[in-house]
Amino acid sequence: MEVRPEPASAEIKHLQRCINDLVSLLALPAIWSGSSPSQIVHTLLDTLTRMLRLDLASVRLKHPVGEAPVEIVRVAQLRGPMPPEHEICEALSHSLGDHSRKWPPLLRSLLGDGDVSIVLLPLGLQGELGVIVAAAEREDFPRQTEALLLNVAANQACIGLQEARLRSQQKRIADQLDQRVAQRTAELAAAEERWRSVFENSAIGVVLTDLNGRFLAANPVYEKMLGYSEKELQKLSFLDVTLEEYLESNRTLVGELLEGKRQQFQIEKQYRRKNGSLIWVRNNVSLVPGTERVPRFLMALSEDITERRRVEEALNKARSELAHVSRVTSLGALTASIAHEVNQPLSGIITNASTCLRMLATDPPQVEGARETARRTIRDGNRMSEVITRLRALFSKKEPTTESVNLNDAVLDVIALSIVELQKNRVMLRPELADDLPLVTGDRVQLQQVILNLLRNGSDAMSTVEDRPRQLVIRTERDEGDRVRLTVQDAGVGFDPQAADRLFDAFYTTKGDGMGIGLSVSRSIVERHHGRLWATLNDGPGAAFSFSIPRTPQGLARADGIRNIDASAVTGPGAA
Amino acid sequence: MDALPGSGAFCAVESCQERSAIDRLLVSVVDDDGSVRESLPDLLKQFGLAARAFSSAEEFLVSDCVDQTRCLLLDVAMPGMTGPDLQRELIRRRQAIPIIFITADRDMIVRQRLIEQGAVECLFKPFSDTTLLEAIDSALYPK
Repeated sequence: MEVRPEPASAEIKHLQRCINDLVSLLALPAIWSGSSPSQIVHTLLDTLTRMLRLDLASVRLKHPVGEAPVEIVRVAQLRGPMPPEHEICEALSHSLGDHSRKWPPLLRSLLGDGDVSIVLLPLGLQGELGVIVAAAEREDFPRQTEALLLNVAANQACIGLQEARLRSQQKRIADQLDQRVAQRTAELAAAEERWRSVFENSAIGVVLTDLNGRFLAANPVYEKMLGYSEKELQKLSFLDVTLEEYLESNRTLVGELLEGKRQQFQIEKQYRRKNGSLIWVRNNVSLVPGTERVPRFLMALSEDITERRRVEEALNKARSELAHVSRVTSLGALTASIAHEVNQPLSGIITNASTCLRMLATDPPQVEGARETARRTIRDGNRMSEVITRLRALFSKKEPTTESVNLNDAVLDVIALSIVELQKNRVMLRPELADDLPLVTGDRVQLQQVILNLLRNGSDAMSTVEDRPRQLVIRTERDEGDRVRLTVQDAGVGFDPQAADRLFDAFYTTKGDGMGIGLSVSRSIVERHHGRLWATLNDGPGAAFSFSIPRTPQGLARADGIRNIDASAVTGPGAA
Repeated sequence: MDALPGSGAFCAVESCQERSAIDRLLVSVVDDDGSVRESLPDLLKQFGLAARAFSSAEEFLVSDCVDQTRCLLLDVAMPGMTGPDLQRELIRRRQAIPIIFITADRDMIVRQRLIEQGAVECLFKPFSDTTLLEAIDSALYPK
C-alpha cells in the first residue's frame, strides 16, 4: 500500500478519525443484534459508504442453503448518474467472474463513466458468506487506514452475519418446533373432540364415576335415560339410582373390579328414573386405570333394555300359555280316557248304591249284602277322588313348583291316566321301573307332562303297526353322573334320521293331527330341570325317547330358576 | 226304586230270589273293570236274574255260559278283543245274544254305530238301575 507523508497534525487528526471510525465499526454488532442479514448488510453499506466516501458499495451474500446469492448495492449520492443496480451487478459479475473466491483483492475497473478502484473483501475466512465490494474513483483508495477499516468492517459483518444466520437457524428450528407443537395440539384437540363427540353422540349411555360410584360425567343418552341433568347427576352416585335389590350384587362386582379379580363385568339391573319410573339397563362396567393427572375411575356403557325385557317377558308369557295349551291339547285328546277314568268308579258307586237300596228294601232286609255294597260304594268313591286329584294337578295352570319327585310314582300316575287310551290303541305297555331310583328335584306335574307326551307319541307312532306287537316300554334307571334316566321305547315307524334335529322344534310334526309343540315343550321342560331330552332309533323297528336329569340340579332351588319356559332365556337379573 | 217298569218278567222282583238258579235268565257281564264285574251281578240278582261276570271277551267265549246267556252286558273298550270285536264274533258264530253295550266314553257316534250294528242299547256309564232294567227288558222281550 502506498503511504504518503502527512503533516503531523493532519496525521493525528486522520488517526483520530480512524479510531473513531473503528469504534463505530466495533459498535456495529450491538446495533445489529437481532437484525436480519439484509438489515446488517444495509447498515454496513451505509456506514462504509459514508465513512470511506465510497462511490459504490455492494455486498453479495451467499445463501446458506445454496439458493441464488443476494446482491445489495449502495451508490453514493454525490456521484453523477449511475447505471441501475442490476447493470452494476452485471458489470461486476462480468469483470470479476462468477466465482468470488477467485476475485483479486484489488483492481481498477471501468464502472459507469469512469475508472474506479475496487476492493474485494471476503466475508468469512474463505468468503463462504459472500463478498463485500467497495469502490471509489479516488486513485489512493484504499488508503492504509481505509483498508484496515474495511477489514475490520468485513470481520464485524462476518460476525454479525454468522450470528444472524445462527439466529435465523435457531428461529427456523424454533418455528418448526412451534409448528409441530401447534400441529400436535390441533391433533390432540381433534382427538379430544372426536372422543367427546363419541361420548356425546353415542347411541348408548356412557357414564364415568369415581370409585365410590359418584358421577363424574355422563353423556346425553345416559342423562336422558335417567331424566337427570348432568348437574343433578353430579350430586348423585349410581347407587342412588339403582334399585335396592341390585345394590348388593352390584357392590360386590365393583369390589371385585377394584381388587383386580375381574377386568370388567356386565350387570342387568333396574334404575329408578328421576320421575320414579323404572327402567331395565344392561351395563358393561370397567375400571379405567389412572394416569399421573387422572385418578382411577369407573366407566359404564349403559344400554336401556326395558323394551327388550318387556318383549322377552311377553314372549315368556306366550310360551307359558303355549305350554298350557299344549298340556290341555294333549290331555284334550285323552278326554275319552279321562271320562272313562271318572265314569268307571262312578258307575260302580251308583250300581252298588242302587243294589244297597234294593237289598234294604226286601223283607227281611239283606243287611249283610247291603253292608257289602255300601262298603264298595265308599271304596269306589275314594278311588274316584284320587283320580280327580290327579286330573286337577294335570289340568291346573299353576306356577311350576320345586319338590322331591319320585319318578317311578310319577310314571305310575301317568300310566293310570293313559292306560285306557293305550289299551284302546292296542298298545302293550311294559313298565321297567328301577327299584332303587333316587328322588329328583323338580316339578312333578311338568315331568308328568313330558312322560305323558312321550307315551302318547310312542303310542301314535305304532297306530299303523299291524305286523308286530305294539309294545311300548317305559323304563326308569340310574344314569351316570348322579342322574336319573327315563326312556320310552316304541316299536313304531321311527323317524327320519335326517330330521332328528328338527324333532324338537316347535310346530315340527310328523302327525297329521299334531300341533308339533309336544316335544318342543317337553324339551324345554327337561332343560329347565337341567336335563337333556333326546331321541334314538332302535336297532329293530321304532324309536326311543329318553331324558336324563340330575338328582339335585343346581339353581333349581332358586325360585325364579324354572319360571321361564325357555331355559336359554333364563337370565338372572343380577347375573354378571 | 219301587216303581219298576210294568214288564211281566219283573212284576215280582222281590220274590225272584226264591226262584232256583235254573229258572232264572242268565245275564253275562263282560268288562275289564273290576268294580263293574263286582257290582253289576249283585244288582242283576236283585232284579231276579242270574248273572256271571267275565274280565275279557276271550274269557267269555271259552266259558260254558255262551249258550245260556240271554243278555250280554258288554264293555266297549277292552284290552285285546274289544266289545265290538266280540259282537262280530258272536254274529259270525250265529250266537244271537241280545247285547247291551256299556261304556264310559260318552260318544254318541260310537253309540249310534253300535246300535246300527245290532246292539239293543248302548248305555253310558254311570247309568241308573232303572235305565239298566229298561234296557234288559227290551233285550229279553223285544217288541
